[in-house]
Amino acid sequence: MKVQVNRDMCEGHGKCQSAAPEIFELRDDEISYVLVDEVPAESVARVEAAIRLCPRQAISWVKEK
Amino acid sequence: MTAQPTLSLDEISTGDELMFERGEKNEAFKILRREAPVRWNPGNEEVKGWWDITKYEDVLYVSRNPERFISSEGIVMFEPRDPEMRLQAANGNGKMLITMDPPRHVMLRRLVNKGFTPRAVRAMEGHIREITRDLLDDIAPKGKCDFVIDVASQLPLAVICEMMGLEKQDWPLMFQLTNKVLGAGDPEYQTDVPEDQRGTNDAARLTGNMGTMGMFGFFAQQLEARKAHRRGDLISILVDSEIEGEKLTDEDLLWFCFLLILAGNETTRNAISGGLMTLCEHPAERARLQADMSLLPAAIEEILRWVSPVTHMARIATEDSEIRGQKIAKGDRVVMWYPSVNRDEDIFPEPERFDITRSPNDHLAFGIGEHFCLGAGFARLELRVMFEELFARLPDIQMDGPVERLRSTFIGGIKHLPVRYTPA
Ligand code: HEM
Ligand code: SF4
Repeated sequence: MKVQVNRDMCEGHGKCQSAAPEIFELRDDEISYVLVDEVPAESVARVEAAIRLCPRQAISWVKEK
Repeated sequence: MTAQPTLSLDEISTGDELMFERGEKNEAFKILRREAPVRWNPGNEEVKGWWDITKYEDVLYVSRNPERFISSEGIVMFEPRDPEMRLQAANGNGKMLITMDPPRHVMLRRLVNKGFTPRAVRAMEGHIREITRDLLDDIAPKGKCDFVIDVASQLPLAVICEMMGLEKQDWPLMFQLTNKVLGAGDPEYQTDVPEDQRGTNDAARLTGNMGTMGMFGFFAQQLEARKAHRRGDLISILVDSEIEGEKLTDEDLLWFCFLLILAGNETTRNAISGGLMTLCEHPAERARLQADMSLLPAAIEEILRWVSPVTHMARIATEDSEIRGQKIAKGDRVVMWYPSVNRDEDIFPEPERFDITRSPNDHLAFGIGEHFCLGAGFARLELRVMFEELFARLPDIQMDGPVERLRSTFIGGIKHLPVRYTPA
């Protein structure tokens, strides 16, 4: 599964990085970047938590075609 | 121990301002969550009905579907039945960030949100500390004061006024006018109405209008001044901003100022005074904090959960749907109650316990999603600096007499909080 951050919505609150540091990184532009192409199985729950916690609702799974 | 009088479901109406003024809302919401978590309130002769949403998951659901539950047809609970009054109440709908829907909402928000990011907030810490120290310098020798008037209201006022580039001489006017707009229903602020007519709906309407008109008059002058000379403040930035190649109109700009000054002023104030009050009422937790101030950031989250200074935001349903088995019809108004969701038993273990180290603590005091509070970072910083400086300077500060709450269903406000302390 792939995860994405909507740059128009993200405001750098960093909740995603605290929830799943191996997946999200807050960079200098105060926007969160996704570090991996595929989210490994052991990180899925943490990504789910990030999706739930993001105050701006900026994170979502990429829908598979 | 004598039994406490308890409310019953039939007696509870979230439209009852006096229930909020008496400080009974938490008890009422507990009953609603248990017995009628999604409940239709029929309103009355004057105002239309609405749904009370009191569970956390349901508020998440509504907040996260900003197209199904829109903001542009009103964000407060009361909608007048009378067409003329309805028009008047709907005046700002669709015109401010907080009353706007996607996609324009995101575009407007992106004009200013870089001024509110964690880095922008951090850059203000030194200055916010200076303001706080000056405020405490003024009250410290006195041994007692009204904490709301002298301290809690002054810091947020200074911060938002400075961001907007307003001269110090105008700050007291901003304090007065924001009180009139958001405290319109409270007799204390109905100063334009003869004393014997205060406390009525007419008095509330007149007071709100006087506040709004005063603000628009004031900000119209501010805009003219910025247009002649840019000053690098938030208003100047907005004057030069464009959405899809178009400048904001004067009306857009005036509503933006109106929102910023209200949101910046009438919220953090109540988190600061509500926070001090809560700490005074929980001496063990307070002692734990004062013994180890590194607990402060978590304590602030707990204060926000506990106090929930903004009591509700409303949305209008754009299609039929169902929440927790209740049929919500297209056009219905749903009201999200933040103090209630922040004590939801399904989310927070022992929600009635004030625990400064609560973790996790994913309260929704700032809302969530599309309209998540733009000023959350500033509010948190103001709270942190305030309690750091306050407990360093006046560690034995205590409540000294009864608190006076605001008569409002929208803001969990505290108007007066007498305190005393060893002069320093
Ligand atoms: C403890 C203090 C505060 C609380 C509890 C609070 C609460 C809220 C809430 C509940 C919302 C609506 C969220 C939603 O509908 O999902 C909101 C929106 C907003 N707040 Fe705050 N707020 C606080 C402080 C501030 C401050 C200090 C500022 C400005 C400096 C501010 C500016 C705003 C703005 C501009 C919006 C509208 C955002 C939008 O619609 O996109 N707030 N706030
Ligand atoms: S939690 Fe959301 S808003 Fe915050 S950095 Fe992550 S994606 Fe951005």
